[in-house]
Parts: sequence; structure tokens; C-alpha cells
Amino acid sequence: MIIYMLVDLLSAHKAGFKDYTELRAQTNTSKRVSFLSGNMTVNAQTSEGGVSARVYRGGTYGFASGAEYTADSVTSVLAAATDNAAFMDRRVNKGQPPLPSVTERNVEWRSIPSEDVAQSLLIDFAKELDSIIAGKYKNLSSRAVMVNCLDIEKLLYVSDGADSHFYQPRSLVYVFLTADTSDGVPVELFKPLGGLGRFDALFSDPSLLMQDIDELYESLMDKREGVYSNAGLRKCVMHPDLAGILAHEAVGHTVEADIVLGGSVAAHNVGNQVASELVSMVDFAHTALGEPCPLPVYVDDEGVIAEDATLIDHGILKGFMHSRESARHFGVKPQGNARGFTFSDEPLIRMRNTAIIPGTSKLEDMIASIDDGYYLVKTGNGQADSTGEFMFAVELGYEIKNGKLGRAIRDTTISGVAFDMLKTVDMISDDMIWICTGFCGKKQPMTVGMGGPAIRCEVNIGGR
Amino acid sequence: MKMTRQDTAEYALESLLKAGADKAACRVACARTDEFNVEAGKFSLMRTLFNDELYLKAISGGRKGIMVSNKLDKDSIDRSVADCVALFSSASADDAEDIAEKSVNKSFDRSIGGPDMDGLFNRSKEYVELLGDEYPKIVLEALVSDFHSAQTTFLNSNGVEFNDNREFYRLSATFLAKDGATSSSFNGYDAILASLDVPFIDLDLHRSLIEESVASLNTRTVDGKFVGKVIVTPACSDMIWDTLLGNFLSDAPLVMETSRWKDSLGTQVSDPKLTMRAAPLHPCIVAGERFTSDGYESFDTDYIRDGVLKSFALSQYGSLKTGKPRALNTSTSIEVLPGNVPLSDMIKGIDRGILLNRFSGGSPGPGGDISGVAKNSFLIEKGAIVGALSETMVSFNIVDVLQNISAISAERCCNGINVLPWCCFDGITISGK
Repeated sequence: MIIYMLVDLLSAHKAGFKDYTELRAQTNTSKRVSFLSGNMTVNAQTSEGGVSARVYRGGTYGFASGAEYTADSVTSVLAAATDNAAFMDRRVNKGQPPLPSVTERNVEWRSIPSEDVAQSLLIDFAKELDSIIAGKYKNLSSRAVMVNCLDIEKLLYVSDGADSHFYQPRSLVYVFLTADTSDGVPVELFKPLGGLGRFDALFSDPSLLMQDIDELYESLMDKREGVYSNAGLRKCVMHPDLAGILAHEAVGHTVEADIVLGGSVAAHNVGNQVASELVSMVDFAHTALGEPCPLPVYVDDEGVIAEDATLIDHGILKGFMHSRESARHFGVKPQGNARGFTFSDEPLIRMRNTAIIPGTSKLEDMIASIDDGYYLVKTGNGQADSTGEFMFAVELGYEIKNGKLGRAIRDTTISGVAFDMLKTVDMISDDMIWICTGFCGKKQPMTVGMGGPAIRCEVNIGGR
Repeated sequence: MKMTRQDTAEYALESLLKAGADKAACRVACARTDEFNVEAGKFSLMRTLFNDELYLKAISGGRKGIMVSNKLDKDSIDRSVADCVALFSSASADDAEDIAEKSVNKSFDRSIGGPDMDGLFNRSKEYVELLGDEYPKIVLEALVSDFHSAQTTFLNSNGVEFNDNREFYRLSATFLAKDGATSSSFNGYDAILASLDVPFIDLDLHRSLIEESVASLNTRTVDGKFVGKVIVTPACSDMIWDTLLGNFLSDAPLVMETSRWKDSLGTQVSDPKLTMRAAPLHPCIVAGERFTSDGYESFDTDYIRDGVLKSFALSQYGSLKTGKPRALNTSTSIEVLPGNVPLSDMIKGIDRGILLNRFSGGSPGPGGDISGVAKNSFLIEKGAIVGALSETMVSFNIVDVLQNISAISAERCCNGINVLPWCCFDGITISGK
């Protein structure tokens, strides 16, 4: 089903909205192929879609969703959401007035390719890439090539705000390489490749990925000889790949307004110096520093036209990210951060494209400036906390001794308290890397972009 | 008119076979969830979700395709069948692809009388009010409480047929303590329930987790680093068992031969005090798995018994691919058998270590190195808990520490999801600033 064909079906109900109402049709389509050491273990497609409605009455929401794209289904979903809102209003009785109005605009149309990407294209690509890897790298104990494509299409009608149509394809190829240490312990590195766009537009020839995979293999050979990091507070240079997750985990989550209302330490710090003056951080909507963001958002799922949200400006915490309801609570304008992942997910406050702004230093100078520390290159998962204490995995890093890179280190984790650690930032590089290859988890998963430059700072590092 | 689940499954299966599949399996599910949400201590949302599932697996000449959709009307089923055929038509052949053999057809009924939404709302409201009254420093960041029902039919072309009707309540609470500008770490409690008989706050570990959050308002860090003992609580030990399943026992590490235990079946892999099993039939587990996604009836199975590796967690494919035995379930309902040491004695026996309530760390690689931050955790010195911790990291290798289990508690907790004791591991690096 192509969602924009439902315009007539959904728009016919808009005149009947009484309370503040969102009516959304959405389909998430995923295609997955995996080759594990040459064995095709996954060949699957999932298509999940339907219609949902959310109704606001008196300070609480009612929400309902159904899988069918029929007039009866839309009617019953709207009725169930309205009943739920009435139940909550009756039982909770918050007595809140309607949500403030936001800017209205016509539906924004995004073009949808008429031809689907055939699964055979993904399979052939993955198989050929796997074959090249198997033939080229002699010191691997195993390998995996995975293709994961996710297309999200949604159509939104709101009683107040911007009706919109949204289509966003994301296509990724993950390459996992494993080798054994001299004592037989497996070590692994992986690299995600791709991002916004359809598979056929991003991946035309497996051989074009080999430069990235050559680098991955060389890093793995380094890691095979790796040592445990020396646990404790250490001076580090974070590769630009890590700056994005730093922005996302260390600061981004703590300044989501629902987390702030839930007790985040950021609640007391607006207007305060929370980072070095070198640090500025923005949650970009769709365009950053004159370029399109990795996962642009033009209108959120509450019908709010998306704008950039400045989080930290030269070390000063400027504000939070909001839904319409939290924006009213804090007396500010919403900037389009409320998004739901699937048709049956209610909009939550989510980051979009969160980044630290580049500085003026050169990466090589930053490394040369450290006598005893670490250069942290690749990251895995991360987590945030209400206290501002964050952590993220480091899957590749190197010792720095007397300004030069030394031995690789084994898998470890770094942590710190964001508003303490960010004050230790004393060099920021003049380049920037965006990534959009993972999912953020917060009741629902969500695609997000994150980016930044290299950073010199002090963090706690795990190890021996 | 909408077809019944049985008719839908039969129609889809027949369509796949007619379209060229040698073997096929189909699962049809109809589900409903009714949910209350509380944010920042206030009710915010009531949500009703109607959803369906059509899962199709087809094999032709060893080539497999899997198509999943949430549409059950005839036109959508026809499209899903065509998509599934296109999938297997372009796949690589693998002799290990198969479907479950014919077994005794069974139906399972775990219904609990349908939703009591007024009762669920009242229990949720009572919880919000009790937290406010009894623990004024606790902020309820989020509460999600719901009633979930699902009716499922599974058929395959070998004649396997299962039907399942299950209902349960779920609870997920996230909270922290706050005193002025000072916050504790997030803490949480999750449970699956067959009834609303017990107030949420009185469910097994829930109250003690809340009290530990309040105690975590005043924290200290560890000076330097040391190697000591760590008691991993039932609230945290998922991290250990999930790593064993994901990195050493499941299909991917065994097919790729990255599992450090790939040749360890029947050998000692841990201290003999450890018996770890998947127990979907355990009476404390609510709505546990009754048949696997491959189409086999589920039974409890020991992974590690008295420290000896007794089973991998392999699917039918993983088993046929590796030549190792298939697991008797695909469940994540983990049970660890109790030890004989009271928790209080475990703490008394520790000269220097920590009580680990939550672990925030990186996903471990195949080597099993794990490091992360100790959250909602407490320093133990000279046999007593002496204070809450912050900015403290723990690092260890999971294969190594399994050989260093110094005690397993006599007490266990069950939240309807797992049945777990407290486990004390020795030889863990604990580091502060």
C-alpha cells in the first residue's frame, strides 16, 4: 500500500475532529538479508502498517490504532481514541485547557518511487560482497554481511497544525569481521555503511565498499594484538564517530523535556555553564551547516513544522526538546521533536539530527598533544541517565604515548557525568562526521542522526 | 467477510504450496493491547492497539523466504504469498532449511477472563499515590501498565498445528529519587502478571528497588581500582544470561563458529554451583512459550547443569547447520537454581566488593569482555553495605568469571519473566575516578 493514496480516506474525517486530534496512516517496510560465514541465514521482509488516532482532552490523550486501511477502520480507530480520551478525562480530571495552536500549512508531498527494490538485488549484492571478503582477507575466523533496508511512509492529518506526507528510506549494509587472538579468543569489529536513500541509489557495486572494509580489516588486525585499557579517568581524543553518540547520549537524552520532567539533572541547569566554551550543540531538523541532515524531519507527528533546537551554545545550556504539551508546560514554542516509530506508536519527544558543532583544531595536533591517554575510534551502543551519567561502548581504540598512537585496546566502555566531562573539553577538530545507522531506544525505537568533530577530553575508561 | 485464523492459515499454506513451495509454515495472530501511561507522576495516555500478524515461511529446493505482514484480508494474503514466493525464488539454497516434523497437535489456553481495565487503572492509580505518600523523594518518570491478549494459530505443511490463547497484564515502571538538584540514577521494575491481586508496589523486588533509589541520593565513588567480588542482583543478572545466550549458545555464534563454547558441550564451563535453564513451563513464568517459532512444542531445558554445558540454544536451522542438538524451546524465560547461602551471609562474606543492581555497559563482543557503569549499586566493605556508588565501573570477562562464582543465594525473585537468585562473582575489576 502506498500511503499517499489514502489522502481522500483520511482527509474526509478532518472536518469531524472535535478535540485536538491527530490521524495518521503509516507503513514501515523492512527488507533483511544476512550471510553468516557464507550461509544465507536471513531472507525476510516485513510490512507493518495501519491507521492511528490520538485525541487530547482535558490534559490527557486517548490513542487507538488498527491495521486496516478502510473507512470502517478509520472510523473505529477515531472512536476508540476519543473514548479513551474521555475515559482518562473522566478518571483523571486534570482540567487542562486545549493545546495552544501552531502554524498551519498545507500537506507536504514527498515523491515515492513507483518501482520497489527487488529483494534479489539485496541478495546478489550481499552474496558478492561476502565472496570478495572471503577471498581477500586471510586472517579472518568468520565474517558476516547483513543488509537492512527500512522504508517509512506516513500521512498525517491534524486538527491544528501542518498536515503532511513523509517518506524516508534508509538502507544499510553491515559488515562484521572476526579474527582470533594468539591465545584463541575471538575479537570482532563491524562497520555500518549507507544511510538515507534507497538501496539501489546507495549501493551499485560491492567493490566500491572495499576501501572501507580494507580499513576495517586493518583495524581488526590491530585489535587482535590489543591490550586491556588501564581503567580510570584518562585523557582521550574521541574520533568524530564518537562525538555524535556523545551528543546523543551524554546531553541529548537529558534535555528531552519528558526526561526533564521525570527528574533529569538538566532541569536546574538552563542558562548555566554546563560545558567548555568550545562546545555548542544543536538538534537539527533537516539542514545543518548548509547541508541536508542524514535523516531530515520537516513536520513532526503532532503537525509541528520542524525547526532546529539549540541545546548548548558556547557551553551554556539553552533549552530542551519538546512536544506540544511539554512546550506549553515550559512556556516555549515546540520545534517538531514529537515522533512515533510505527503506526501504533504515539509520538514521543525524540532527537532528530543531534550534533556537536566543529571547532578549529586538527585531529593530528590533538593526538600529538597527549602524553599518556587513548584515541577512541569506534563505538557501539550507549546509554544515558537522569543524573547525566552516560556510557558508551568503545570497540576500537589505541593507546597514545608521548603524542603518538600505540597499541590497540580490547573492547571497553567509557563513562562520565555529561556536564562535568564536557567542561574538560579543550580541543575540538575542524571536521565533522554524521552517522545515522542505528536506532535510539525509548519505549519505541527511532531512527536518528548524530554527528560531530573529534574531541579532546577526560573520561572514565573501563579495563583492567 | 474476514476469515477465521484457521481458515486464513490454511488458505495461506495452500497458496504457498500451489505457488511452488516444497514446504511451508504459517502463523496467524490477532492481538489487542489496552494500556495506561503515566509520565512524571501524572496519567498522560490511554492506548488501545488492535493488531494482526501473518507470518509466512516457505522453502523450495532448500531456498527460504520469510514474509511478515499485519494484514489478514484476502487480497493482502495473496500479496504476501506472492512476496514470499519472490523471496525464496531469489534465495541461496541451504540443505539445513526445513520445517518441523509432524507432532501431536495441541491447543493451549492461558486466558485469564479478559481485561479488567477499571481494575488496572485502579492498581496504577494506587501505585502512583502510594509512591507519592510513602516515598516523597521518588519521581515516577514513567509507568506503562497494560492488558495484552493474543490468539495464535500455527500450521505447517507437515501437518503440525498449534493454537494458543494467552492473556496477561504487564507493568513497566521507571523511577528515580530526587532531592533538590540531586537526582539518583534511573531505576526500574518490569513484571508480567496473571492477575491484579497484588498491589504493584508489593511485587517481589519492587519496594526494595524503590528504597535503594532513595538511598542512592548520596553517592560516593571508588578510589582508584581494585579486584573484588560483585553480587549481581536478580534485577541485573539478565545481563549475564543474555550474554551467554547471545554470544555463546545461539545460532549466529555457532554457525559462524565464533562461540567460545562451540566445542564445550558436556564439559565444565562454570563453577558447579551454577544451573541455568530456560523454563517457559515454570509455574512462576506468566504466559511462557508453548511452541517454538519453528513449530515444535516447547519444554523446559537446562543450558548449564551443575556447571556442565548441557544444551545450546539452537533453532532447527542452527541444529541442522552445525550438527548439534536443537534446543527444546526458544524461550528467554530464564531460571537459575538457588544456592544455599542467605543473601545476608553473602554480603557478610565480602571484604571489598559491590552489590550490582543495574549495569549500563557496552554489548560484549564474542570474546566476552564486558565493562560498564555500576548503577543503583552499593559498596560493600568488611561484610557490610557502606554506601551508594556513582561513577564506578566494573570490568570482567564473562567466561572467566563464570569459573569464579563464590556463592548463589538461597532466595530467588520471580517477576513473571525470569526466576533468578543473587549471584556473587569474584575477580571483577572495580574502578572509580
